[in-house]
Amino acid sequence: MSNHLLFENIDEPGLSSIEVYKRRGGYQMAEQALAMARDSIITSLKDSGLRGRGGAGFPTGLKASFIPQGKMDKFLVCNADESEPGTFKDRELMQKNPHSLIEGMIIAAYAVGANKAFIFIRGEYVQQAEILEKAIEEAKAAGYIGENILGRGVELDMWVHRGAGAYICGEETGLLDALEGRRGNPRLKPPFPANQGLYQGPTLINNVETLTAITYILKVGAEAYSAMGVEKSSGTKLISVSGNVRRPGNYEIEMGMTGRDIIYGLAGGIEDDREVLLWFPGGSSSPVLTKDDLDLPYDYDSLAGAKTMLGSGAIIVADDSNSVVDIAVKTASFYKHESCGKCTPCREGTSWTTKMLKRIQSGEATPMDLDVISSVCEQIMGNCLCVLGDAMAMPVASMVTKFRPHFEAHIEEMRVQNEARVLAEIAAQGNVLQGIAAD
Amino acid sequence: MPRPEIEQITFTVDGREVEAPAGTMLADAAKLGDVDIPVFCYEPKLGAPVGACRMCLVEIEGIPKLQTACSTPVRDGMVVDTQNPRVKSAQESVVEFLLLNHPLDCPVCDKGGECPLQDISFGWGRGETRFVEPKRHFQKPVELSPLIAIDRERCILCYRCVRFSQEVSEDYQLILHERGADTFVGTFDGHPYVAPFSGNIMELCPVGALTSQAYRFRARPWDIEQSGSVCTMCPGQCNVSYTVRDDRVVRVLNRQNDAVDDGWLCDRGRFAYQSTYVDERVTGPLVRENGRLVEASWDRALATAAKLIDAAGDRVGALAGGSASNEDGWLLRRLMTEVVGSRDFDSRPAGLLSAGLQAALDAPEAQATVEDLDWAHAVLVLDTEPVDDMPVLDLRLRKGIRRNGVRLAVATSRPSALDPNAELTVRFAPGAGEAFVCALDAAIGGVGDVTGLAAAAGADPEAVEALGRMLREAGDDVIVVWGERLTHIADPERAANAARALLKASGRLGLLDGRTGSGLLQVPSGGNGRGLREIGVLPNVAPGFSEPAKVGRSSREIATATSAGELDVLHLLHVDPVATFPDRALWQSALGKARGVVAHAAFLTEGVAAHADVVFPSEASAEKEGTVTHPDGRLQRLRPAVGKPEGTLPTWQVLSHLITALGGRATALTSMMVTTEITEAVPFYAGITHDEIGGFGVRWQDRDASEDFPAGDTGPFSLDAPVAAASPNGALRLGSFRSVWSSPEVRHAPALKFLAPKQRAELNPDDAADRGIRHGQRVLVTADGTVVSATAHLRTTSPRGSVFLETGLGDESASALQSTEATVPSMVTVESA
Ligand SMILES: Cc1cc2nc3c(=O)[nH]c(=O)nc-3n(C[C@H](O)[C@H](O)[C@H](O)COP(=O)(O)O)c2cc1C
Ligand code: SF4
Ligand code: SF4
Ligand code: FES
Repeated sequence: MSNHLLFENIDEPGLSSIEVYKRRGGYQMAEQALAMARDSIITSLKDSGLRGRGGAGFPTGLKASFIPQGKMDKFLVCNADESEPGTFKDRELMQKNPHSLIEGMIIAAYAVGANKAFIFIRGEYVQQAEILEKAIEEAKAAGYIGENILGRGVELDMWVHRGAGAYICGEETGLLDALEGRRGNPRLKPPFPANQGLYQGPTLINNVETLTAITYILKVGAEAYSAMGVEKSSGTKLISVSGNVRRPGNYEIEMGMTGRDIIYGLAGGIEDDREVLLWFPGGSSSPVLTKDDLDLPYDYDSLAGAKTMLGSGAIIVADDSNSVVDIAVKTASFYKHESCGKCTPCREGTSWTTKMLKRIQSGEATPMDLDVISSVCEQIMGNCLCVLGDAMAMPVASMVTKFRPHFEAHIEEMRVQNEARVLAEIAAQGNVLQGIAAD
Repeated sequence: MPRPEIEQITFTVDGREVEAPAGTMLADAAKLGDVDIPVFCYEPKLGAPVGACRMCLVEIEGIPKLQTACSTPVRDGMVVDTQNPRVKSAQESVVEFLLLNHPLDCPVCDKGGECPLQDISFGWGRGETRFVEPKRHFQKPVELSPLIAIDRERCILCYRCVRFSQEVSEDYQLILHERGADTFVGTFDGHPYVAPFSGNIMELCPVGALTSQAYRFRARPWDIEQSGSVCTMCPGQCNVSYTVRDDRVVRVLNRQNDAVDDGWLCDRGRFAYQSTYVDERVTGPLVRENGRLVEASWDRALATAAKLIDAAGDRVGALAGGSASNEDGWLLRRLMTEVVGSRDFDSRPAGLLSAGLQAALDAPEAQATVEDLDWAHAVLVLDTEPVDDMPVLDLRLRKGIRRNGVRLAVATSRPSALDPNAELTVRFAPGAGEAFVCALDAAIGGVGDVTGLAAAAGADPEAVEALGRMLREAGDDVIVVWGERLTHIADPERAANAARALLKASGRLGLLDGRTGSGLLQVPSGGNGRGLREIGVLPNVAPGFSEPAKVGRSSREIATATSAGELDVLHLLHVDPVATFPDRALWQSALGKARGVVAHAAFLTEGVAAHADVVFPSEASAEKEGTVTHPDGRLQRLRPAVGKPEGTLPTWQVLSHLITALGGRATALTSMMVTTEITEAVPFYAGITHDEIGGFGVRWQDRDASEDFPAGDTGPFSLDAPVAAASPNGALRLGSFRSVWSSPEVRHAPALKFLAPKQRAELNPDDAADRGIRHGQRVLVTADGTVVSATAHLRTTSPRGSVFLETGLGDESASALQSTEATVPSMVTVESA
């Protein structure tokens, strides 16, 4: 079996239309699922070992099993906010193969008894939103979405909702608030969305890739899916590789491939044959790895073992022409800009860290500032309402720890430069003064 | 939703075993073991915790991450640590973070000395900072509203003020702008934050970011004392704490009493104290001399009043206003019955009910409490607008609906601020309350001609049926919050019919059976309406709702009799009927005709200014001593926070002097002695002392003496056919209302002046279009040749065929349009000015 599932026909022209999709066997899984008992779908998901592809890696089948039964409205929400820097896999899926997502959503909605489904898509994905809207119309016309799907008495309606541009709206509870028309701020958990989510109703939230994978799990069977990849990280994963590589882009890999095979194999290695300075294995929130870590297998547990994470599956590679100081400033600035401001450690901590890093960048710092940064990151981690704060603290702390000599060298270099500049200015002033005296 | 049962559990905090009610948040439960967990954003009265500030992080055995104590309910066997190094470091971190951008202007900040941020920084902070970057800067302070200044640099973004606006008062004005470290508080549209309850956010703010424009820089915490009392501006009787500096009230804070006010105040109650210190206030006795009121000595004023009353024999009528305490009312009653020999006194602006009906409506078995509103299955708001008539009740109703799923129905003539929260709203014609309750009774009972009765009330029959169904099917705990206005009908037969219909409908719902959690809650038209009623300041009721030997004249009858020359002297206790009662023309004529008018007043309102022969100064709220009775039967104590203006006597003492001067028996040497006279005379108040009332009051229904409440007239009744509302026939029915901002205190308090209402005619846009009237334009409202000018205010929710004008605005009042004879609401024409 090829190790391509989600990307199997991805570049086939016209796949985004329902005709081509159906010609490729599309919607058969939905039809099959609707004939199954709801429980057995959830059991399949559990057996497949699928873990959430949105970042946290929570077992998908288990999460679906938390949705309470009952007559109330239940919701399925697809998280298509895809805002983690370096991540662009959902975009390609939605753009080229929207029906596989919709089909996965129909199956998931049926499995948990949800009658209303929303795709919350980041505002910048205008083209993808339009494609999805069109695909939903097609699916409705074909009877896959509606009040009585395929005459089986199953009801499901589906909407695309465009975000207004905030990273925090990818956090599931912030997303729910935004979807309800409020300021996108994370909510306190518990209650978890499974019990009180959208409009206080039971809500299943999953990432685009997770929901799409459901279609393919039904296609190949839970057993075959779980046989792919490695233990506890089964199946395939879409990864977005970017940075100083020769062939940036999205790839579908089987879990467990090494970082080296990804970066040097799939992505063609580093431009100009330079050395890897550092790489983010799972989006900009993940603690960075160095060239010494390239042989790590790319799966949830191996990366966790290296004190980092698989996250959204975005590998960002920086070669040794970059300054780690600049990377740290960029990373921290992003999270400072995106912090919703609701909780203290994140709001104040990201802003403070950014200010300190910028001072280091411009050379108005001492190595002691590095200690303060480490300590501030420590004070943020684990103390926030959601994990956006940690998402800055973890990579920044990892950079300061792993590349301290680089930071110190930069500080020293800038100190020397600044000193020279100031001395030159004083000297210039002295000349002026002399000039005045001579007058 | 019924009130949940709560069991006790045991948990351990910092090594101590503590018992707490299950489900209590750790932050509160820890206090039961004398462990203080610092909080900023947590404030239970704002509803569910938000976990924003992270100040309350603690370690709980078995949970790897630190948890927020404000949002973690205690469970049996939980082991909590609030002191270990890991927790300590988290606490120090949050304090450090909060202080990064805080300006530390403690020396010039109003909050300094009573500031949670200072206290927590001192108690849980590291005491030093590592922050050397520039702080965040804002222009400061700026006006959030004419009442509130905001200093955004001091704000720690705890979300409290925004949550209040969004989730408690639901005015939806305050929001957070921007994001992250750039976040700041403001109104969504940049307009001033003007709302009936806005002042509460200053008390909620844990730092000096929101300060009172009226109190700013007036005192420091070490200059002041707090003094607890009760606000007497409306029947809500919120518990307040007066901030006193140099024997002057400089601020009013809430003194949280969950059974009464949930810890909130309206802006009128919060800022009206300013009117205590304005030049317009009457601070000494006045006597009319050559047509002008001039200052006089106490002896002269008392002698003049006594002479007037004496000369009138028993041809004296008396009125007690809502702010009269039980003691004031009692002595007025004694003066009238024992000395003057007249029973012509009343404490209601209009209408009259028999002692039996009053007793049935006020019976302990029929009484719902304010707290019951939290957990009722359904609440009907009937002929009252809480935000105007008893503001703090508006917040209570919103709370029950939002947090506990209480179902609300609103049945009024004028659209209510609670309409958006109601599952059902029914409109009836102004003044057609009697017909409406008859229709409602029929709908609840499933008997009678609902359609015909609803038509008589000018209401939609289907809506009335739906309301009947809703109340019948909602569950056991149904509460009817009804306005005294419902029985303000001049014809006593009609008033009685309305009361009977209300009792009958309530009986059908089981509201009169003594079930806890359901019943009636009346909103009286005066602040102490219930107390005055229970002690017998009514023409036909003796203390404790017993039948009097002789029945006297009611308010309207007093007015008619005085106009006709049958009464010579009017005694006005904290009330000006010209300014505030219906039938303005009638009262003007009565006061004009009276040979003498004796008034107790804080301000020379129009009737008093024009007609009083003697004016005794009334105490301001903060100067008053005595007791009042809350609409749900809670006796509360007024304690003077400051002294009265020099040489001034309290009202009870003035009345006492008058009794002696007229040859009566002076029994009361202190206010407390008057209270004792009352508790001896009202059987169900028996034995209540000031001590028992204490700081939070006592409901007489909760005491054994309540068994001595007399049996009321509970039927069975057969109802009369109600009077049908007149059909508009091209004209419009006149409805009236009195907004929360309509009172002399608002007009005179410098901070509140800007809120004093101007007349506006509320119209349905279709009725307006028929007359070519646009929103905001000047219009003339005419009845029988009398004209009131107003600004047209079009409301889509306003019912067709009616126009609503405000009362209490002098010549421009709704009451000016009622003719002397008419006892039904006027029909008016409205046209462009
Ligand atoms: C700050 C923040 C941003 C996030 N952004 C995204 C996102 O853009 N897309 C996404 O799928 N999940 C995102 N997540 C993860 C979601 O909260 C959530 O875990 C995920 O949608 C669950 O789906 P899954 O179980 O399929 O992974 C984010 C989480 C955080 C804390
Ligand atoms: S961690 Fe940041 S983004 Fe998350 S709630 Fe706190 S302030 Fe908002
Ligand atoms: S103004 Fe005060 S109450 Fe409002 S968020 Fe800031 S600190 Fe909190
Ligand atoms: S008090 Fe608990 S998070 Fe603010």
